[in-house]
Amino acid sequence: MGDLVFDIGYGHFLVLAAVLFVIGMAGVLIRRNALIILMSVELMLNAANMTLLAFSRMWGDLSAHTFALIVIAVAAAEAAVGLAIVVAVFRGRRNVDVDRLTALRH
Amino acid sequence: MDPQSAAAFVTADPHFAGLPLLAWIPLLPLLGAFINLVFGRWLSRGTVQAIAIAAVAAACGLVVYLVFFPLYDAFRNGQGGVGIEQQVYTWIEVGSFKAQLAFRLDTLSSVMVLIITFVGTWIHIYSTGYMSHEPRYAAYFGYLNLFMGAMLILVLGSSLPVMFIGWEGVGLCSFLLIGFWYENDAYATAGRKAFVVNRIGDFCFLLGMFLLFWATKDIASSDASGVVRGSLDFATLKLPQAGAAFVQPFWGGERLAAAAGILLFIGASGKSAQIPLYVWLPDAMAGPTPVSALIHAATMVTAGVYMICRMSFLFSASTTALIVVSTIGLLTALAAAFMAFAQTDLKKVLAYSTVSQLGFMFVAAGTGNWTAAIFHLMTHAFFKACLFLGAGSVMHGMEHGGSHTPGDITTMGGLKKHMPITRITFLISCLAIAGIFPFSGFFSKDDILGGAFHAHPPGWPDLYGKFLWVGLSVAALGTAVYMWRLYFLVFESKERTKEAEGAHESPASMTSALVVLATFATVIGLIGAPALRSIKLPGFTHSLAAWLAPSVTHQWHEGTPIEGEAPSAKDVAACANVEEEQGACTMDSGAAGVCMGEEHHLACEPASDLGTAGLLGGALGIGLLGIFIAWRLYRNGPSPTVAKLTAEHGPLHGAYEASKHKLWVDEFYDLSIVRGFKALARGLFEIVDRFIIDTVAVNGAAFVVGIFARISRWFQNGSVQRYLAGLIVGAAAVFFITDCHHKATFDYEFLTGGQLHLRAEPGAGIVGSQAVLSWDLDGDGVADRDPKNPNKPLSGMDLTVPAGDVGAKVTLWIEDPIARETTRVTRTIEMPEPTVGSAAPRPPSPTPAPSPPPAAPATGFSRGGN
Amino acid sequence: MSIQKAFLFLLAVAIALGALVADAPEATAQPATAQPAAGQPVQLHVVPSDGPRGGVTVNPTIDPDRNLHGDRVESHGKGMALLFWVFAAASIGGALFVVTRRNLIAAVMGMVGSFLGIAAVYMMLYAHFLAVVQMLVYAGAIMVLFVFVIMILNRPEDEPVAPTGHVGQVVGGIAILYLLFRLGMLLAHVHVPASAQLAPPPMQLPGGEVADWGTVKAVGSDLFSGGLFPFEAISILLLISVVGAIAIAKPLKDDDGEDADLGEDLATAASGAPHTDGGHA
Repeated sequence: MGDLVFDIGYGHFLVLAAVLFVIGMAGVLIRRNALIILMSVELMLNAANMTLLAFSRMWGDLSAHTFALIVIAVAAAEAAVGLAIVVAVFRGRRNVDVDRLTALRH
Repeated sequence: MDPQSAAAFVTADPHFAGLPLLAWIPLLPLLGAFINLVFGRWLSRGTVQAIAIAAVAAACGLVVYLVFFPLYDAFRNGQGGVGIEQQVYTWIEVGSFKAQLAFRLDTLSSVMVLIITFVGTWIHIYSTGYMSHEPRYAAYFGYLNLFMGAMLILVLGSSLPVMFIGWEGVGLCSFLLIGFWYENDAYATAGRKAFVVNRIGDFCFLLGMFLLFWATKDIASSDASGVVRGSLDFATLKLPQAGAAFVQPFWGGERLAAAAGILLFIGASGKSAQIPLYVWLPDAMAGPTPVSALIHAATMVTAGVYMICRMSFLFSASTTALIVVSTIGLLTALAAAFMAFAQTDLKKVLAYSTVSQLGFMFVAAGTGNWTAAIFHLMTHAFFKACLFLGAGSVMHGMEHGGSHTPGDITTMGGLKKHMPITRITFLISCLAIAGIFPFSGFFSKDDILGGAFHAHPPGWPDLYGKFLWVGLSVAALGTAVYMWRLYFLVFESKERTKEAEGAHESPASMTSALVVLATFATVIGLIGAPALRSIKLPGFTHSLAAWLAPSVTHQWHEGTPIEGEAPSAKDVAACANVEEEQGACTMDSGAAGVCMGEEHHLACEPASDLGTAGLLGGALGIGLLGIFIAWRLYRNGPSPTVAKLTAEHGPLHGAYEASKHKLWVDEFYDLSIVRGFKALARGLFEIVDRFIIDTVAVNGAAFVVGIFARISRWFQNGSVQRYLAGLIVGAAAVFFITDCHHKATFDYEFLTGGQLHLRAEPGAGIVGSQAVLSWDLDGDGVADRDPKNPNKPLSGMDLTVPAGDVGAKVTLWIEDPIARETTRVTRTIEMPEPTVGSAAPRPPSPTPAPSPPPAAPATGFSRGGN
Repeated sequence: MSIQKAFLFLLAVAIALGALVADAPEATAQPATAQPAAGQPVQLHVVPSDGPRGGVTVNPTIDPDRNLHGDRVESHGKGMALLFWVFAAASIGGALFVVTRRNLIAAVMGMVGSFLGIAAVYMMLYAHFLAVVQMLVYAGAIMVLFVFVIMILNRPEDEPVAPTGHVGQVVGGIAILYLLFRLGMLLAHVHVPASAQLAPPPMQLPGGEVADWGTVKAVGSDLFSGGLFPFEAISILLLISVVGAIAIAKPLKDDDGEDADLGEDLATAASGAPHTDGGHA
């Protein structure tokens, strides 16, 4: 047990990333507010980034850093567009509950 | 068409107004029908009847021209298959199958078209008088013309499909004309009955056609086109190759011809009112009397006989089919004659008489006596049409006298005074139908009887022919009795009612037709008069058999394909001549009729003049006996003797009731078939429609779809989270499935320098990464000790050991600390070709590197903090 | 709000504590005495050609726990372990905050805390540059954007978790737990190459320079050599997304009334007055 607590290996980082990813996933799954869902998606992206960086360190390959940088940029773009959509939806419907945004059904 | 038969045909190809001349024969009445049916309501009666009669008369004239000039020339020149064949256009073309709308006037169809157009013309003329008070005058003549057109198509068609057009057309016209006075419910019902019963036959006709089409699916064509892929042309079906197909075993050991023939015969029995489908014909008397004369006596009902003669090449290939035809014909003749006895309606008696006479014709056809069948068809057309028209005349007169039941013979009597012309013509026709010399019926009926007497179909006892002969003789006796009963009751003795006293002769338009038909009924029999060796009749005797010979088959297919066309007219004539000279063989009226039972062409039954004359005399005697009986019983009106015999407790009461109620056949059909079908329909409605279709199929389908819709609706609710949940479940499933199949093992690889590199592959997940490994390299079955640290077992994912230390077998234990189970993997180490190993290249661990690093030993590097 | 405050307080305490603990052992450590020449690096470990690209070289004479500049780069030891746990707790706690809080601002604050913790974890992975980018871009820019939008909407959720669809949530939850289990098991026991136990080696840059692992110089060198095309592509993507965001969020010409409403919302949001939504409650 002491090993597990004091010897921080790559597994720790990766499991942390997995936990974050799953929390984000749960957030996407259960929350109704579109903003929270967007944030949860960001969380999942960060978890993925963390995995990338851990493996980058593990295999001594810096190109994963580049990749993570691109992921951050894409996340920023996604957040911008996502928030714009939220605003547009809000303007039309006066709420951003994804429960009520069921136009995909039709 | 195949050139062989076409070459034998008349070379002349006459056209008129762009259409083949043959096509004009049915087209003229059809044009008349079109005008009268479409524009009739604006035309005057005179115009209507002028158009109708002109159309039919023109067709008659055209037929007379074609038959007596081109066709007769060809016949006299002895050309092989005598006939004219003309194509109008290609009707159906599917693949190699081609159905031409083509017409064929050969010696067989020429007889038919002559009868049809000639009798038809006179019946049209008669109708102008009989139907003069009819408000729907144009419709009547339109239907009549339509019938003529359809009948001519039926007869002239050069293939079964074209014949079927006419076949259905006459059925339609029959329906329309039986129910012409559709305001009367019983009449409309009679029309429907005729239609439905005919449909049963038509269905079998179609099946027979399909069977023939199938049978000829790969016979060799006679022309350059090679193989015939199914054909229904008479010319093709007549080919020897097709004959070979007919005699092939088909079903139940019978030949294909038996199945096809019986199916076609069922079709014929529907149209020609044979058992068991005859029931519609007596009811069909609901139509106008000229219609009964034309359709239900002279022409349409004989279509079945014509069709069987047309298909003689098929029927002659199967004894079974012929036995069926002749037996059914005999039974019909007897049953209908029996039923005619107790009928009191004038037209009903004639109707049963027609059914009975049609039975005679089928017996003739069933004994291969095609000539006799056609001969009797012809004479019957005249005398029965004359009888019907006479009956119509009588009813016309009785109506004039004020009768409301003009057909009831019990109310008549003594009409000879009031209707002399009608009486004379009726008398002639009665003589003809009773078979009295020299009226036409004598020759034709004797032809049939003689043919039956000599018939002995292959595989059947000789007595069969005698049996037919006896049966037919009884039927002929019955015919004479009931016809003359009719005659005596209607015309002789004294008027029994006021209405009969008030009757008077019909107008000239009606009597002229009677006279003409009676004349023909008298003399027409001479063309088929039997040839006796000792008595030389004028040259035209027995000409009918020679005339028909090219169109019908005179031989039996006995398993082997026949070798040529049907014998030409010359052959027949030659045969007749030779036999006459030798005196060994009599061409007893129907040449083919006596030829049954042998394989050769025209194997003639030796029959002496005495035999022939005896048969003739016997037939005459039967007719005279019948007339005598009728005279004894009915010369003074209804017979008290008969009344006594058929009274409540009389000896013949049962028979009388049976005859009067037509053997209860209608009741039997109603009980067995109609009710049965109604119950079946009811059951089908309840089970199939209500339950299977409505409940199970429709609602069940909706229910199943609903279930799936419910399931898919759960996913497709538009909520993106629901979709994502599905995605996640799917991802979990992927993980789950991929975890199920890992298998622990290890790889080994020979390195240069005699080293062996072993690498454990403990599998994925928990088992793989936390497993405690131990190796047995020397193959003693016990885990080895680590050489560096003998207290510990040899462990580690990657091992590099000298190859020489390794035994033949290496065992790896993988202990899963979580699940607490041990997997054991044993592999046989195969000494290699150099550098070849089974392990895939991997990122090499530091161990095998040439200069091992000081730190980081091969094992335990997952421990941090060193 | 008290939970958030407690969380933020705990986070701050943890950071401080972690820093103290991390510093403690190093305080006694000797500074590097020998500063060997940077030249003549011995190639210790050549990554196979099908492996990660680039030749990572390590100078064996360098103390693996020290970088080019003699700083300690080791991320071992109890202090580092404590720091890891603190930041892991911070990031997980923040993440839980995001998915559980009803108040959107609280959620965003939890998100910021989580991002800070994640950035710290990045540091431990020698991703210095990305840690900074994480803080700047995520905790700074993106979260500010979120806060703005939240201010526009200013609408607390009636019911944070959808009241319906329990079956889906249960199934999804089970699937998530299974995924967590499998991922965790897989990731916790990855096969770690021996070299990864060492401090990351300085990198040989194309220009002959040597740079520390994960620094701006090293990442930039990689980004602008091999990753140039993705870099340019991502810049175009950003441009497109900016244009797209404007196009989407721009009020339509014909719904002025809606726009007025939104303006009103904005006004109320800006003034901080409680938003009352008479028409749509």
